[in-house]
Amino acid sequence: MSFELVILISMLAVFAAGVFIFKLPAGVSLMLASITGAFVAGEGLPVRHLVEGSFGFLEAIMIIATAMIFMKVVEATGALSTISYYMIKSLHKRPTLLIIIITFFVMFPGMLTGLSSACILTTGALVVPALLAMGMPKKAVGSLIAMAAVFGEIAPPISIPVMIIGGGVDMPYIGFTGPLLIASFPPAIFTAIYYRKKYLKDFNIDEVLEKLENPVYDQYGFKLFLPIILVIALLLSEMLFPELMFHLGVPLIFMIGTLTAFGTGNKFKPVGMLQNSLRNAMPVMAILIGVGMFLQILTLTGVRGYLAVSALQLPEEVKYLAAVIMPFFGSAYAAASVIGVPLVFVFLGKNSIIVASALALMAAMGDLMPPPSLLCAYAGQMVGEPNHFKILKASALAIFVTGAVGILMIYFANDIGQFINLF
Amino acid sequence: MKIDHKIVASFLLFLMTVVCIVSGVEFLDMRTPDVIYPSEDLTKIGKLSDYFEELKDGSGDTDIYFFEGKEPGATVLLLCGTHPNEASGFIAGVLATENVKIKAGRLLIIPQACLSGFSCTDPMEGYPQSYTLESKSGERKFRFGSRVSNPLDQWPDPLVYSHFPSGQKLSGFETRNLNRSYPGRPDGTFTEKVGYAIVQLIKKEKIDLAFDLHEAAPEIPIINAIIYHEKSEDIGLNAILNLEFRDLRYAPERSPENFHGLSHREWGDNTDVYPFLMETCNPIQGRLRGRTNSELILTGKSPQYLAAQETGKLRIEYDAEGVPLDKRVARHLQGFLEIVNSYNEFFPEKTILLEGLPEYEDLLENGLSNYLK
Repeated sequence: MSFELVILISMLAVFAAGVFIFKLPAGVSLMLASITGAFVAGEGLPVRHLVEGSFGFLEAIMIIATAMIFMKVVEATGALSTISYYMIKSLHKRPTLLIIIITFFVMFPGMLTGLSSACILTTGALVVPALLAMGMPKKAVGSLIAMAAVFGEIAPPISIPVMIIGGGVDMPYIGFTGPLLIASFPPAIFTAIYYRKKYLKDFNIDEVLEKLENPVYDQYGFKLFLPIILVIALLLSEMLFPELMFHLGVPLIFMIGTLTAFGTGNKFKPVGMLQNSLRNAMPVMAILIGVGMFLQILTLTGVRGYLAVSALQLPEEVKYLAAVIMPFFGSAYAAASVIGVPLVFVFLGKNSIIVASALALMAAMGDLMPPPSLLCAYAGQMVGEPNHFKILKASALAIFVTGAVGILMIYFANDIGQFINLF
Repeated sequence: MKIDHKIVASFLLFLMTVVCIVSGVEFLDMRTPDVIYPSEDLTKIGKLSDYFEELKDGSGDTDIYFFEGKEPGATVLLLCGTHPNEASGFIAGVLATENVKIKAGRLLIIPQACLSGFSCTDPMEGYPQSYTLESKSGERKFRFGSRVSNPLDQWPDPLVYSHFPSGQKLSGFETRNLNRSYPGRPDGTFTEKVGYAIVQLIKKEKIDLAFDLHEAAPEIPIINAIIYHEKSEDIGLNAILNLEFRDLRYAPERSPENFHGLSHREWGDNTDVYPFLMETCNPIQGRLRGRTNSELILTGKSPQYLAAQETGKLRIEYDAEGVPLDKRVARHLQGFLEIVNSYNEFFPEKTILLEGLPEYEDLLENGLSNYLK
């Protein structure tokens, strides 16, 4: 057994013991696993590396904190429940179309920002009350928005995992729209229809509407939606007109949205709201800090390279398995960077743009997977499901089908490339 | 037993204070400048802010070493340290600065083009902060930095980086990458301002021939390559042929016309210079590398690359001997010298005559320590 494998096993064992035996938060368990890995590797207690790793996801952490505050505020003003109410009321007669539109709606922020977490924290939070009120189980609702977040992260115009892979192989972000549409929308539609058939039973619209909070549109009018419109407009402007728009950054955009929410709807207590939001965001932020440390130690000790080389060492006949391993890196960005880049070279001879798009899809599913299970943890918080592994389990079929789409895209990369070139 | 939460909070606060102090001392150590001892032929040391005032005294205001020959001739720019995690480029610049003698023309050396990036390392890469080399005066420590500018100088990154003026989209991280920022702009980001200043330098000093020294991971196809703008093609191919005669293989790579922001593209498009970018093989940058430490910078030995090579699935230029730093520096310097010679052949009326720089074989035989003061 290689020494790197011993290090990895010791880290995973400490993580598992922390979570399952000592019931520690996942973030704390990841930190302890990182310290253990460094000790086993003979690095002692590398304080600088642990601190540096914890900053790996600083921007994501700030986005989560500010997005959580924003969503709590628009929930308190009544905007969230009003949108849910009218969405169901207008589309309840066509439940399949309703679920598909909800899935696209959840994907939307990810398409603009390239961030899967943005989907769950914004549009995902908007649709959760409606889906629960329609009688869908918590785990199914959580699973649907988590999967939609994965597809949103991949769908064009912005796909950061593809950009990371492209950056690693000096491939400009040109010509990806078609491949990314193929990688994201067909599995998204399949997932939506699957959840519709399996989990969404016939419902009585009056009973559902009764379960939802009363809409407050009549009371406050259009201004109720101004904070949401402003945030979407600022995000869109930053993406579409970077030359004209002063760079604000996503966290500042959410804070601007939060500040404009005062007086647009129901009153709320800002201090309590802030405390509550940050308390909710804290476990996920801690996970990201822990993941950063974990990845830093994996790299420092050579385990990251060991995993990447092990994937390459799979026999030629099963080289596609290396792509299947990608989600198990537990992070879309880590998978895209560590194994996505070498795999583009492994599949040289096939259309590289299609291959990179497919690999990005495989990598994006990493955000669902443990140890961090980031999207499942978020979704669990949104739907009130304390055991986020139930959400992961409920996503199994959708993950399998999405993975199959990714592998088929790689296998038929040249044919797909020719097909896209017809347009 | 239930412990008072105030005691727990106080303990954690104390623990975090200790962590901040211990790591803070290490992080601050990266702000100690590297020391370079220029050769006797040094004419003056300029600053990048001489070409764009706004950079003055800031973390982008890097040193420029001027060497001017008695005879007139061509002006050459040797730009190193664009990516501070690519050690051979920086050390080649240090070695050239400490050894070069000039008879005709002018040589400008910037050893640390992205000075800001030398003050930090990249999170989650597990990089060492420095490495030590033997020299004539004993051990010398050099910083090993980040691929990009320090986020303390430019933050936050956008989600997507839109290159000016092409509008080309890259991941947000690349917004701090100097070699994606050219031609830069005076009212842009910190990194774009540094890129702008370098382009102004090329224009104002009327640089004829310019080099940008880099390294790349063993699995990247453009390693051990000379990348040239289309207008530099004849000079580059002639030099590559001469290098072949010495049994040194450099892959010729023409700069892609639709990939913007890079020195070999934008310097060529926006100035009169003949630009070249050279890459050596650097395992510590690779995604397949094993344990990450300063030893890996110096020896370039990573058994995992051998294992990856044996799979036959990647085109990896690597052997069991590794790719030691002195070999990588020697390749850069020999490539530089051959391109300068080739330029002199094409422009005999405006040559640059350099001495004092070791040939490839000499550097391998004598080692870096004999050329570092």
